[in-house]
Amino acid sequence: MMNPIFQRELVGLLRTRKAYAIQAILIGVLTAFVVIRWPDNARADFGGEQAQAVLRLFGYSLLAGLILICPVFPAAAIVREKQDGTLALLIHSPLTPWDIFIGKLFGAAGFAMLLLVLSLPAATACYVMGGVAFVHQILAVYLILLLVALQYATLALCISARTATAVSALRLTYGAILLLAIVPLGPKQFTQGFNDPMVGQVVNTLACVSPIPAMMDVLGQGGIGSQGLINTGPVLQRYSIFAGISILMFTLLTLVKLNARIFDRNRPAGKVTDERSGTVRAYRRIMYLWFFDPQRRSGLIRGWMNPVMIKEFRTQQFGRSHWMMRIFGVCLLLSMGLMLATTRGTLNWGVDTLGGVIVILQTALLVLVAPSLASGVISGERESGGWTLLQMTPLSTFTIVSGKLLSAARTLLLLLLATLPAYGVMLAISPDQAPRILQVLITLILLAVLSLMVSAATSSVFRRSAPATAVSYGILVALCGGTMLFWMGRDAPFPRGLVEQALRLNPLATALSLINTPSFREYSLAPANWYVMGAGIVLSTVVLSVQTWRLARPQ
Amino acid sequence: MSDIVVQTRDLTKAFGSFVALDGLNIQLKQGHILGFIGPNGAGKTTCIKILVGLSRPTRGSATISGVDCTKDARKIKQLVGYMPDTFGSYDNMRVQEYLDFFGAAYKIPRKNRLKRIDEVLETTGSTYMRDRYVEALSHGMKQRIGIARTLLHDPRVLILDEPANGLDPAARVEMRQILLRLAEMGKTLIVTSHILPELSRICDTVAIITKGKLRAFGSLEQIMRNIRQRRLMELQLLSTADLDKAVGLLRTNLEKDAEIVVARQEATVRISTDADDQTLAELLGFLINSGLAVAQFREVQQDLEDAFLMVTGNDSPATDAPAKPAPRR
Repeated sequence: MMNPIFQRELVGLLRTRKAYAIQAILIGVLTAFVVIRWPDNARADFGGEQAQAVLRLFGYSLLAGLILICPVFPAAAIVREKQDGTLALLIHSPLTPWDIFIGKLFGAAGFAMLLLVLSLPAATACYVMGGVAFVHQILAVYLILLLVALQYATLALCISARTATAVSALRLTYGAILLLAIVPLGPKQFTQGFNDPMVGQVVNTLACVSPIPAMMDVLGQGGIGSQGLINTGPVLQRYSIFAGISILMFTLLTLVKLNARIFDRNRPAGKVTDERSGTVRAYRRIMYLWFFDPQRRSGLIRGWMNPVMIKEFRTQQFGRSHWMMRIFGVCLLLSMGLMLATTRGTLNWGVDTLGGVIVILQTALLVLVAPSLASGVISGERESGGWTLLQMTPLSTFTIVSGKLLSAARTLLLLLLATLPAYGVMLAISPDQAPRILQVLITLILLAVLSLMVSAATSSVFRRSAPATAVSYGILVALCGGTMLFWMGRDAPFPRGLVEQALRLNPLATALSLINTPSFREYSLAPANWYVMGAGIVLSTVVLSVQTWRLARPQ
Repeated sequence: MSDIVVQTRDLTKAFGSFVALDGLNIQLKQGHILGFIGPNGAGKTTCIKILVGLSRPTRGSATISGVDCTKDARKIKQLVGYMPDTFGSYDNMRVQEYLDFFGAAYKIPRKNRLKRIDEVLETTGSTYMRDRYVEALSHGMKQRIGIARTLLHDPRVLILDEPANGLDPAARVEMRQILLRLAEMGKTLIVTSHILPELSRICDTVAIITKGKLRAFGSLEQIMRNIRQRRLMELQLLSTADLDKAVGLLRTNLEKDAEIVVARQEATVRISTDADDQTLAELLGFLINSGLAVAQFREVQQDLEDAFLMVTGNDSPATDAPAKPAPRR
């Protein structure tokens, strides 16, 4: 008998318009790839250059698509049931935790599998074009994609079982995927030119945590962007082993949670320092410097303050002062550590490389944090019923929305400020870099504003925060990561002009080119990218304004 | 000056061809509690949304303290405290912070706000919750904090959508006391609820609405008088053996169209009649003198639930009320 959860999840998903749209877009894009590169002289290309070029594009697109889409459904799968109260019914039913897990996993991953099946005709066409190995390339590409789908779906389910809201599950899942897919590539990219075999071994092994090197290896592109280090060792096998172990681990960690104990949560006691004994009060005031004490009774909102902004600070997970200081501190330490390592010669990095690391760090933080802060500004209120209450107050819609945007902007600004000292060191080392650094800062500020406005605009379109967050991440990751697919396929199949055009959409690439990072310095991306971001900001502002006006007017 | 606080005239709201509210006319005096009842989808929430300025009527008008609900939303927000059926909680916020936020949103000066928060917490019996996190409160606690929130700006009219929904019996009693206390303070209340016995205990006025139309409006006694002209009497005998004899005697001594229903297992006869007290007293004497062993002869009291079922019972099964009137004992 078919697992009822699997049946409900997958069938329910396939009935939605978005599932239909995703399938239609995928088929359309893959068909376009094949049609563009199909030989026009009715002869098979046994050299296989065209087929290889299509396969590369095909593999990277599917990988990027899976990384973006795969976590959306499983990340909300368990936590949504918990919020709706239906998880208790499932646990109380004769279904075992394994049944629930498998139903959820294949319900969500099943959709990814379906997308892979839909791509088979395009893969077959690649093979027919000639010059592509069936086992070592086509099957290997599908093995990687299958592992990615399972790995990220189990990861998302594991996080979903441990979070309280769908939004935090999505936020953490995308953060974890960034950690697994992108961050392991950093050391390898930035240790190019190192002669120490030990370092090479470590960074190569670390890079295999990500599916990207395995995919590149299978598609015959060696190291990241075909630059620098040459991969040593069996990359695909290493990734397969790591993916297998992590799938097993995430499965066990999820199964452990899928029982009645998932509901055993104490309600917070609501203690305040002000009501505790003198000794405790004195201790906490010293340890937390009074202002940062999370159990301090808050002061009343002052008349000149925007009450919505203060409310947002208080309700956001990381909006309270003690959390902000922790995040600020971590960013500051990271930035200072990089500076110290560079200036003391521990790392043999030039200013360009250090700048590249800082730019990637800042972009990753902005892209990760902005949607989590801003994609619930309106959808979150509508979901919780707070929007009606806010409308019943004398606050204008402008005050409500600006309060929310200001609260998110403050956090983003703090994150940017915390990573700024590294630029100071760069200036000290090479004072003539000042104009470049200024341009990088303009790019990053524009990216911060764009991320904020795109997330807020998306939030105004959706009724629930989870899809708004997923779509915001999708847009930003597609912008900063998706366009990198063209860069990875530079020279073959994409000509330089097309790569440059695509990278002009990408703020990360623009900042990297401005800071003179190897492989990016040859592109001229600013100020075209600033205009693109400016247009994006204007468009998002228009969408946000129209939507909030629509939502605020009497029915 | 008139003491009418809430007034609607021919209030109508249509969504395309669907008429959600059809020519509603109600009036409510200061300090009164209006029980607004009707099956799901009857138009209660539509009416409430117009009253609080969240929706515009297609036709007609609604005023609160003389202020037009559709034209002067700013004044209406100060005059009305609205508690929707969803609480609208915010995570990571303590009760005092929650009330402080809404106090600031209602522009209550900072120097008065703490005192006002103390007052509303005391009025709703929630002072002990001050430092608790809002998301950690039970449903009953949240309802009380919801009422405290609506009271913050000292509105003249409170509109509470299902305040007793999901509350346990003890919490319901507490809620009832809070609402009565508010009415004593001079607040005018409009309360919707599906728990009709609760409403009947606190409401001065009842409005029954189905399919957007006002079916009954007034005090419960008035409504009952209008709905049912006849009295429902119950005759209970000691033995079922005398039932047929009793029915025969009743038919000969009551008007021709009196309805007589026998519940044989309970040895009971239910009579729907126009007879007055004098006639009924004489009938009882006659039955006893005829040798019937009468255990009880009484008028069946009817309540809001009966009124609701009688009014909504004439509607099509599209509503969630039973299709036929079913008076209860």
